[in-house]
Amino acid sequence: MKGLLTTVRELFRYRGQEGQLAWMGHRLSGLGTVLFFTFHVIDTSWAFFWPEGYVHALKLYKHPLFLLGEMVLVLAVLYHAINGLRVVLMDFFPELWQYQRRLTIGGFVLVGLLYTPAFLIMGAHMLQGLDIL
Amino acid sequence: MTMKVTMRIRRFDPEKDAKPYWAEYTLEAVDPTDRVLDLLHQVRGRFDGSLAFRRSCAHGVCGSDAMRINGVNRLACKVLVNTIVKGDEGKIQVEPLLGLPVIKDLVVDMEPFFENYRSVMPYFVNDEPPPARERIQTPEQRTRFDDPTKCILCAACTTSCPSFWANGTYVGPAAIVQAHRFIFDSRDRAARDRLAVLSQENGVWRCRTIFNCTTACPRDIKVTQVIAEVKNAISRGRAD
Repeated sequence: MKGLLTTVRELFRYRGQEGQLAWMGHRLSGLGTVLFFTFHVIDTSWAFFWPEGYVHALKLYKHPLFLLGEMVLVLAVLYHAINGLRVVLMDFFPELWQYQRRLTIGGFVLVGLLYTPAFLIMGAHMLQGLDIL
Repeated sequence: MTMKVTMRIRRFDPEKDAKPYWAEYTLEAVDPTDRVLDLLHQVRGRFDGSLAFRRSCAHGVCGSDAMRINGVNRLACKVLVNTIVKGDEGKIQVEPLLGLPVIKDLVVDMEPFFENYRSVMPYFVNDEPPPARERIQTPEQRTRFDDPTKCILCAACTTSCPSFWANGTYVGPAAIVQAHRFIFDSRDRAARDRLAVLSQENGVWRCRTIFNCTTACPRDIKVTQVIAEVKNAISRGRAD
């Protein structure tokens, strides 16, 4: 536990470069996705064990806050997948180390590009739910 | 032209202090081409003779003065003041390497680091009878492990690694670099043994390809590349 706390604290103090930032994002997106899947498995199981609870959960998921959460989830999955592929690439082709900065930043840009349509569609959906659009 | 530099140093004396604290010392006339090590000497000479830090050659060869300078692991003897302080005035923050127990001020206990280092058999192994003259090696074979031979065991790479901060039993980048130096040496015969050590729980797989080690290395060793080559050797089951 002490090691974990030290690591979290020092990640904000040690001035690592884009690699450290990419890794922090990878961990956060991975943990966030696992957390979502845990809840998702539980609420889906309610369809069998507690049908009323399941119906209630489905209604709750239409709330704009949960829609915002869905948008974050899509970003997390997208980022985790693309950054993971970059790490796999670096591990299988060590000579790519000299391009690691460009690959990391390229990964950020690619996530941004791929996320834009999802952001627009889901964002519009959420705003409709708020009666803003 | 001189500069005014405030040295912010993480101090800790286990005989006096309950916990570490920051101390500041202002140096009025610093030469911009002084090194951080020179400033530490000035602080010790002018303000507090009890300030503890390691240094030996003071020329980037022995690796004894690795510390965290302005948030990044560096050798104090290789960092010029004008590369980290711009203008006439500034602050330099110095603290001990992270992940190793602090003995006093900037001096850390290197034993856990060397314990990891020893675990990878960092020495030449070949029980075959030696030839009449030297063991022949082509220039290409020698080049294969040239980069890791530059390592000075300063621990800047290992203590810049978040995986090592979280788990001190991870062998760390420096030990893997040392292992690589012998694994890919065509004259050595213990590559399999070293790969077996490094394929264990606290071996190379704890590396998350973060690249902090590569940027921290004062000898410009391509540490992350070296680690990836060892990972590949383990995956293939051979070093070639």
